[in-house]
Amino acid sequence: MAKSSVKPISHPFLLLLVLIAHTAMMVLVVLSFGVDAEVIKLAAAVLSADLVGSVILQIIHREACTVDTVLLLITGMSTIYQSCFGGLEFDVKHFAFCMASFVMCQISYAVTRNPYRAEKLKPLWYTLFFILVFCILFLTGSRGIWIDLGFITIQPSEFVKPVFVLICASSIHTQLKKSEIAGFHFVPDNLMLLLCTVVIAGLQWWCRDLGSLPTFIAAAGCAMLLRFCYLREKVSLRLIVFLAACGVGVAIFAWKLAPGYVQERLHSDIWADMSSTGYQQVKALTAIAEGGWFGKGVGNGTLIHVAAARTDIVFSTICEEWGLFTGMMTVVLVLFLPGAILTVPPRSYYHSGLALGVAAVFIVQMALNIFGSCNLIPFTGVTIPFISQGGSSMLASGILAGFLKAAQAPVLTDRQTQKGGK
Amino acid sequence: MAYRTSKRIQRVPSHELDISAPRSMRRAGTGTKLLLTAFSAALIYLAYVLVSQSAAYMTKSGKTTYGKVLDRKGDVLFDGTQPLSNYPWGQFADVGNFIGDTSGQMTNTIVARNSSLLANYSFSYGNDGTTVLETSLSHAANRAVYNAFGSKNGTAIAYNWQTGELLVCVSKPCVDITKGYADIDTMPSGSLLCKAFYPTVPGSTQKVSTLLAAYQYAGAETINALEYNCTGEWTNATGDVIKCHQSYGHGNQNLVTAFANSCNPYFAQLVQSDIVPLNDIINAYARMGYSVNDSPAESLEMNGIVIPPASTVLRDSHQFETQWGALGQGRTLVSPYQLMLWQGAIANGTGCAVQPGLLTAVTKSGGTKHSLQSHKLTDQMFSSAAAQSIQKVMTQNVQYNYGALQPYNCGVKSGTAQVNDNGRQYENSLLTGFSLDEQCPVAFCIMIEERESWDVSTGQIASVLLSTLKENL
Repeated sequence: MAKSSVKPISHPFLLLLVLIAHTAMMVLVVLSFGVDAEVIKLAAAVLSADLVGSVILQIIHREACTVDTVLLLITGMSTIYQSCFGGLEFDVKHFAFCMASFVMCQISYAVTRNPYRAEKLKPLWYTLFFILVFCILFLTGSRGIWIDLGFITIQPSEFVKPVFVLICASSIHTQLKKSEIAGFHFVPDNLMLLLCTVVIAGLQWWCRDLGSLPTFIAAAGCAMLLRFCYLREKVSLRLIVFLAACGVGVAIFAWKLAPGYVQERLHSDIWADMSSTGYQQVKALTAIAEGGWFGKGVGNGTLIHVAAARTDIVFSTICEEWGLFTGMMTVVLVLFLPGAILTVPPRSYYHSGLALGVAAVFIVQMALNIFGSCNLIPFTGVTIPFISQGGSSMLASGILAGFLKAAQAPVLTDRQTQKGGK
Repeated sequence: MAYRTSKRIQRVPSHELDISAPRSMRRAGTGTKLLLTAFSAALIYLAYVLVSQSAAYMTKSGKTTYGKVLDRKGDVLFDGTQPLSNYPWGQFADVGNFIGDTSGQMTNTIVARNSSLLANYSFSYGNDGTTVLETSLSHAANRAVYNAFGSKNGTAIAYNWQTGELLVCVSKPCVDITKGYADIDTMPSGSLLCKAFYPTVPGSTQKVSTLLAAYQYAGAETINALEYNCTGEWTNATGDVIKCHQSYGHGNQNLVTAFANSCNPYFAQLVQSDIVPLNDIINAYARMGYSVNDSPAESLEMNGIVIPPASTVLRDSHQFETQWGALGQGRTLVSPYQLMLWQGAIANGTGCAVQPGLLTAVTKSGGTKHSLQSHKLTDQMFSSAAAQSIQKVMTQNVQYNYGALQPYNCGVKSGTAQVNDNGRQYENSLLTGFSLDEQCPVAFCIMIEERESWDVSTGQIASVLLSTLKENL
């Protein structure tokens, strides 16, 4: 008989919470639009996804997991949001990608839940990384980021994120294996990580889309930090100062090398240029102001007519219709994903690397999206995981969520258990 | 332990995991906590910014209506809740270019500079049309002063030097915002500007500044003992002639009589004498906020209205330009607002003034009322000893020349400014001063443009100003 890590009531109880949340949102939708075919389709899709997803999870795992529950909750909310912006129309495509991201989460969990086994796949991750780089260089057209297959467009750079996180997490325990190159002692894996980071930076510069670069740099920085701290009880002040100095140096270097359009964004006054460069942000901020605490009402927003309303400025679109309070709560819910490892700490260096890498990617990406669209930092154009529309982003986020689940509910071989602590 | 096991793997239920993982491994949790904390803090800050700035966002994007601006007794000075044409003509004729409106025609007005504050919008209540901006202005006194100008143009500004409340601010000609801007092309020049906030040639009111500098660096005893002869004109070290407005001269003058007579040769000789080195005069001017010889000086600000700093040119105490500048002519420029501010610091005898402010409170959507009054002091502009000394001299001036102002326990200094406006030359009449009357503690500055001897005088307007303020405070 399998023994669950949580009491049997947890599963139905968590499912109930998810159902209550989604039902409450659907009530608001019904109050705004009445009962019609679209409402019924939306409600049926979201609520049945909750039920089916929960049942499948219980059959597979027999234990509740924060990541799964939060993922069900967020993807359902996301489907409701995206279906109601500016008027009700069930967004089948978005819903399908939500479900696909849920599946991707389970797949990536299966691949990475055993750190010993996953670590052995390191050559595969490097291979995948350079295949994706190849795709971006040669299949996306004229210095673009999209591969157009006719019936669907794919953004390979989104899939670089989970692969990069895997690379970041792969070599923490190899820090003692140093090689000597020209009289200097290096850890080869660290050099590889540095190389990958430089490749990404070069690639993004080449694609003229530096928006995601802070996300990769944050993940690489976190990975380097874990590597430097490997087996150290305390982090020395000297190391902290050294890393801080490196960070400042990189920032200054990036500042000097940033292309003109990036420098322009750093200094631009959106209110002085409301009709061109500041247009989206002005509209986004005004929409939040119009929405107030509780929104203008589901489907009553006008921001949807602005470009990227469902992706880059989706936070403002939610705030306009559902209110700042709901917008903030949604963001906090997404934060529960990286926060999951705080409840159950990772049991291996591999999983701790994965968890911190994903946390860095999710949090920096959300920061770029939300604070950028609200003019606190330069506006880039990245998505909020699971909330923004976009298939590639949704699938990549699902894969990243699977890593978190692996860190929270690892499967350890006997060898790993012995190495891990006991 | 009865874990669910396969042949190869063993799953460890989370509650049975050993959470005493190596410290270096647990740093992932620490890192995540730091990231989450930083992001959450930024999110809270974002919420604060969004809520506090939302009125500005709505205003800038033109999606808000505006509330009312009221005077100290509740009289309407601007109303954004209804068309201004609903008000009778003349309702805002005395405050149009000072309080302003939301038409966008005027930018340096109370409404334009505080449009976010006046916006009928709050994050919690939306556009509910209840915003009220209360001011310290006395509309009755303002109207009376405006009317006192008669056919003349000019400006008058007054504030309570004890509390900082701005009480009167008139600028003629003035746009009547109830009529709109259909006839903007035929409006008299200056209708859309409140002249109280723009530098102008101060004339002999500048002698107050020069005397303050002298008092600070040479001492009251030395300066009060100085005597010079005035024959109607005086030739300086470089051969240039400084003329006195009294062509036959004032004779032997001490400071009090020279100040009362506004004797140019006396003050020109004071500047050239080197009793007060020119550098000390420059330093004293700079402390008062002048831009001397194009040196940088900070602009002044009142409830968002920007007031350019005073400026002058002082290069050589023996040269005409410097002496003429120290007498308030030539390239010397001071706004009536700043002249009034100095009077506030003289009246209180400390050398630093309470900063003037018009807005006293705002009632936002939802009915919450916030006080906007602040009792901020300026920097020390001159010494208290100098302030007290000149206060006496100015008070004596009233006894000599302004009998009508004596009931208000006043001190004043008049001036005649020789203006060269793109080749057109004329004279403005100025009066700056203060009242020490406990019921009417006011510092003021009045300027009448192109005044002729038969026109209304600055003293008469001052009398109207003080009497109506005394009734309406």
